[in-house]
Amino acid sequence: MTARRTAVSADAAQLTVLHQFLRDFGSAVALDAAEVRTFELVLEEIFLNIVMHGSQPGSTPVVEVSLHRAAESVTMIVEDDGPQFDPLSLPPPDVTASLADRRVGGLGVFLVRNLMDTVSYTCVAGRNQLRMSKRLGG
Amino acid sequence: MNLQIEATGDVTVVEPVGRLDFDAAPGFQEALERAMGGAGKPPGAVIVDGARLEYVSSAGLRAFLLTARAAQRSGIAFSLCALQPAVREVFELSGFSRIIPVHADRASALAQAQQGRT
Repeated sequence: MTARRTAVSADAAQLTVLHQFLRDFGSAVALDAAEVRTFELVLEEIFLNIVMHGSQPGSTPVVEVSLHRAAESVTMIVEDDGPQFDPLSLPPPDVTASLADRRVGGLGVFLVRNLMDTVSYTCVAGRNQLRMSKRLGG
Repeated sequence: MNLQIEATGDVTVVEPVGRLDFDAAPGFQEALERAMGGAGKPPGAVIVDGARLEYVSSAGLRAFLLTARAAQRSGIAFSLCALQPAVREVFELSGFSRIIPVHADRASALAQAQQGRT
């Protein structure tokens, strides 16, 4: 099997479920541990962004994650039904700021952009969809 | 995540084992606060040895940032050492390796900590 999909509610407690999902996928398609951790990190950042910014009173978005392994790359798509929000529109953090001026906000998405080879956002039928892929072995 | 804390003279070495993700970050930060002396006498230096730290997300980076600031306020030298390649990459990408000294191994971090106090 080269593709898997799961869905969880946008609740930080589900992070361990998603991490396990990724590790299971990694073993099923023979990814090395370092590649799996890169995807775990990227998924953590994107998922927690949705948890922090996607919920409105009385409604918690559902987050769907799908993974696909091609010959030389892995693609991960994260979709949610929360308010429309493009995480790629966030300004990049100033990674040269001094210790006193450093902020952590925006760092998660910045890491995602830098650890993946391609990242794109679309809003499809009112659903946020973030597609990320990374070449393997490079 | 598990942690080992070792105090030798006035240098405290904290060795986190495993993953520093969103769930582990608050406990890690508390441990660093304790390593910095809590309400007691602060050490001269605190070193985080990353030899067994497999994973750090932005939630973990936040704990390092807050600790580095608190250390600076208290006059404690705060540094890292022996980071695994993937973790080092996260520190470098995020620019954290410019604001927190990162040493190749524990011996050089300890040597620097000793030197810093002479």
